[in-house]
Amino acid sequence: MSMIETFSLNKTFRQAIKDPGLKGSIKHFFTQQYRDKTAVNGIDLKIEEGESVAYVGPNGAGKSTTIKMLSGILVPTSGTLRVNGLVPHEDRIRHAKQIGVVFGQRTQLWWDLPVRESFSLLKDIYEIPDPLYKKNMDRFNDLLGLHEFSDLPARKISLGQRMRADLAAALLHNPPLVFLDEPTIGLDIAVKSRIREFVKNINQKEGSTILLTTHDLEDIKDICRRLVIIDKGRIIYDGTLEKITDAFAQERTLHFQVREPVSSISGIIANLPGVTADQVNELSFSVKFNRFQYSAGEIASKIITSADVIDFRIDEPSIDQIIRKLYNGELILQEEQPSEAIRS
Amino acid sequence: MTSAKKYFSLMKTSMQASLSYRFNFFINTIAGIVFITALFYIWKAIYAQRTELGGMSWEDMKTYLLVVFITNMLLTWYSETAISRRVIDGSVSMDLLKPLDFQKARFSETIGTSIIEGGICALVAASWATVFADVNLPPNLLASGLFLVSLALSVLIKFGIIYLAGLVCFYTSSVLGVAWARAAITNLFSGALVPLTLFPDWLETITRWLPFQGIVFIPASIYMERMSGLDALWNIGIQFIWVIVLWLAGKAVWRWSVRQVTIHGG
Ligand SMILES: Nc1ncnc2c1ncn2[C@@H]1O[C@H](COP(=O)(O)OP(=O)(O)OP(=O)(O)O)[C@@H](O)[C@H]1O
Ligand SMILES: [Mg+2]
Repeated sequence: MSMIETFSLNKTFRQAIKDPGLKGSIKHFFTQQYRDKTAVNGIDLKIEEGESVAYVGPNGAGKSTTIKMLSGILVPTSGTLRVNGLVPHEDRIRHAKQIGVVFGQRTQLWWDLPVRESFSLLKDIYEIPDPLYKKNMDRFNDLLGLHEFSDLPARKISLGQRMRADLAAALLHNPPLVFLDEPTIGLDIAVKSRIREFVKNINQKEGSTILLTTHDLEDIKDICRRLVIIDKGRIIYDGTLEKITDAFAQERTLHFQVREPVSSISGIIANLPGVTADQVNELSFSVKFNRFQYSAGEIASKIITSADVIDFRIDEPSIDQIIRKLYNGELILQEEQPSEAIRS
Repeated sequence: MTSAKKYFSLMKTSMQASLSYRFNFFINTIAGIVFITALFYIWKAIYAQRTELGGMSWEDMKTYLLVVFITNMLLTWYSETAISRRVIDGSVSMDLLKPLDFQKARFSETIGTSIIEGGICALVAASWATVFADVNLPPNLLASGLFLVSLALSVLIKFGIIYLAGLVCFYTSSVLGVAWARAAITNLFSGALVPLTLFPDWLETITRWLPFQGIVFIPASIYMERMSGLDALWNIGIQFIWVIVLWLAGKAVWRWSVRQVTIHGG
């Protein structure tokens, strides 16, 4: 049995239509017009136990909506879902015990309570046995440095501290399934990497299944082996990160610096079809090529024989750029085996 | 099914949290004292012309006001708005993520706060009674015991009402409007402003069919032994039935509201 199984999952919200201004408000008061907004549109997703999956997509793609349905706080408009054997919104309390959820934008801590007290309250709420509680608290203290702020109430701690505390709070009961909705939003690099380490640790040591949404691609690289990309409520890619970089990061750029101006770069690359050159200034230029067509060595040796090269470096497109292109619709993914489709 | 310990913990935590809101209690106490003192002088003016009104002497009225004060101090504005604020600021969806029954959780928190409020209230009520002197204690031990039971039920009825009022906030964002309307209705129909026996007959009949009489009028009447013996037990029974009815109504309304929230996405 899969940990998560959804079948053509849909969520349509009713949004009020209101013309601008007072006139619009008055009109809405009497007529109450709504339009349907489909946030999640036929998602089929299967996640096995122990997987760590990144769920990414542009703003408004429907990521949070999906997570809310999976955690039982939103009822799907249509479709079916089963999470660790339960239908979340129908079996809410039982389901709540088997998941840990962090919404980066929201805290689950008690605002007025010292963080430490929030934890001990959660211990009772989730009926966590003493030894497990102690063990987890020690471990989380180590990994997340909670003691720095655990005697302060949640409203007085910083965003990064709050996120660490929220993570610990969500994982205190060792849930087999963890949903993280933008757990690194607004954090500095040090805290981000701390949180990544922590999540990785939970996934690898505890075997918890992780579903994570993020706009930070470093998160994905670090934590997740599988990547699901969603846009306008539909899944547009489901596979490994490498596969997508293989498919799209075929363009390489070599940047050269030379001692003396080169007369004609286009002449040098003339017998290399598909390669383009770009003169940056008199003494530097760059050459773009497809790495499945030429090796970097081929290109470099060609140029080195015709110009006095002082220095050169190679650039590959970052995943950021690739995913940005995907979002912008500049890259179209074929459903099956994207890498094959592009190469041929 | 779910163990009681988690709710007990919530109660303890809320006792603890409310102690850190000393200023809140201070304001609540002041408000309670002002309210009761205003009533005191209004009734004093009324009684200046007469010795008795609807079978109540000035002594009786003072005792009655003391009970009004006690019931008003237990379960205050603070607990009330705590529930509506939760509904408004959307933390309800965070609550749905926890293995807790919303109603029981809010109940535990409210009771936790009320216990602290009760302690403070006892102190203030005692000093108030001393200042305005000659307020009678319940005439005998039995009446005292019955009064305490009735007072406890009064808190439960009040919880049932504020819980329902809190859930209304799913449909309006006016926390204060709802709380204010709730307080106005409760004050009128519970007998906090005017003892129900002084109402015109038709109005008194209506109040007899509403839960509010169980908040002030019944405990006050038991305290003063205007209801005693079987009559007192009968009225405590009525309070008890209202506690159950309100609890079930709260459960139903919650179930309905939460379905709206999880469908429309709060
Ligand atoms: N409660 C709601 N009522 C109406 N529309 C909603 C509601 N919640 C979400 N939506 C709409 O559904 C769409 C998807 O929202 P969602 O929050 O799932 O996006 P997301 O992928 O999490 O985006 P982001 O990266 O910005 O967090 C958006 O267009 C949003 O406006
Ligand atoms: Mg989101």
